[in-house]
Amino acid sequence: MHAFATRAGALLALGLTAVGCGSPPPLDKQLETLSSWTATMQLAREEHGAGAITTTYATQLRDGALSTLEETKQTIGQAAHSKVDSSYAAAALDSLRTAIRQLDAETGS
Amino acid sequence: MKKWSEVALGVVTSIGGFLEVGSIATSTQGGAEFGYRLAWVLLLGILSLAFLMEMTGRLAAVSKRTYADLLRERFGYRFFLLPLVAVFVVSFLVLASEIGGVSIALQMATGISFSWWAIPVALLGWALLWRGTFGIVEKGTALLGLVAIVFAVGALKLHPAWPAVGHGLLPSAPSENRARYWYLAVSILGASISPYLYLFYSAGAIEDEWTIEHLGVNRVTAGLGNLFGGVLAVAALIAAALVLAPRGIRVDRYEQIAMVLASPLGRAGFVLFLATLCITCFGSTLEIVLAIAYMLAQGFGWAWSENLKPGKDARFAMSYTVVILLAAVPIAIGMNPLALTNVSMVATAASLPVTVIPLLVLMNDGDILLNHTNGWPSNIALVIIALLSVVLLLAALPLQLLGGG
Repeated sequence: MHAFATRAGALLALGLTAVGCGSPPPLDKQLETLSSWTATMQLAREEHGAGAITTTYATQLRDGALSTLEETKQTIGQAAHSKVDSSYAAAALDSLRTAIRQLDAETGS
Repeated sequence: MKKWSEVALGVVTSIGGFLEVGSIATSTQGGAEFGYRLAWVLLLGILSLAFLMEMTGRLAAVSKRTYADLLRERFGYRFFLLPLVAVFVVSFLVLASEIGGVSIALQMATGISFSWWAIPVALLGWALLWRGTFGIVEKGTALLGLVAIVFAVGALKLHPAWPAVGHGLLPSAPSENRARYWYLAVSILGASISPYLYLFYSAGAIEDEWTIEHLGVNRVTAGLGNLFGGVLAVAALIAAALVLAPRGIRVDRYEQIAMVLASPLGRAGFVLFLATLCITCFGSTLEIVLAIAYMLAQGFGWAWSENLKPGKDARFAMSYTVVILLAAVPIAIGMNPLALTNVSMVATAASLPVTVIPLLVLMNDGDILLNHTNGWPSNIALVIIALLSVVLLLAALPLQLLGGG
């Protein structure tokens, strides 16, 4: 019983370690995250232009996008295993950078 | 006439108190990622909660004891430690998330980081508990929480395709991204069927001095209140499905959620979203702190009542004082409120068996409930909820690992 509990505990710890501290998220997940934040920036720009959201709030969304951009820049290279992957990654990063710049221009930041 | 006003107040209180940080986060995440497909999980959660609240309310009204009291008396102190510890841990996590919800709403309004708001929010909550009565805590915050109706207005303004919404109320599973789908399903159930909700409801029945005369009020409050309250959670899912999903926006941060109301309702929608997040999370903060303090006091046999002066039930008052301040710490040190919410909702779902399964015994005990024991429809519902709680317990950790990212 004790040995079983020890083994189960070790397996659980191993699983948690693998998931929590292991390899970066797969490329498609990272592309999805970048695309989601790019769309968030575009929507924020539209809504700020329409007066629906405040500049204070739009700036916080921009900060969220910037932090995602920085995090993804560190990890997406490791998940891109071919030239095609790398070009997708670069395009997604560029799109988010552009969307952030456009929101900044809209809010005057 | 008095009874009708009690019914109306009970229903309104349930509606105003239904939405909180977990239901707002999980409903909008579900809508953003899977459209209407998770609406059936919300319905399942609403129905389960309505049954559990009706039963714990009936227990309290007939026996004049809370569910926690009866758990200890019927199963013994050793067994009682299990639900006590489980409910304490998960409710503490949910409490920290609620404080995070209020703090993030204040951050969105002011631009000052959420971590600076956590301690002031906790202190304000504590002051209200220290000075206020049960009526103020329960009804005051819930009535203010009616601002959450803005989610229904926003959803209607977006003109959802009702046949598609109806289709979402039928169980289905997607062909891809299944781990994430089921992870969100478990999170939604955790948000809908939090043990603190029925433990607080049961203690509230004692605070409000319910008797057998209140069984009708109890039935209507638990049924209609949760149903109407649940409609608001479905509305949040619909709004996210129509604003975020078509653009491919996933909810990675609370800040993104405000768009679901700013988009259809403009600046008013944005402001009312902030008000909804702030008020509903603050109301839930007070309820959860009290639920934890009630459970501790009832478990250890201390004097307890939110209607007593703190000097008259010092250990109860000390419990909520310590708990609310400690729960502010994770947010004050900058823990991500959305990540904390998601983990706490899954942990809540996993904790359900220890409070749901004993109810099967208590609700059929004629010594406790006299001739108000469960009939077969209630027992069937309770067995289904108990089985569901076991499935949630088994699935929670694997889904957290596979679909939590």
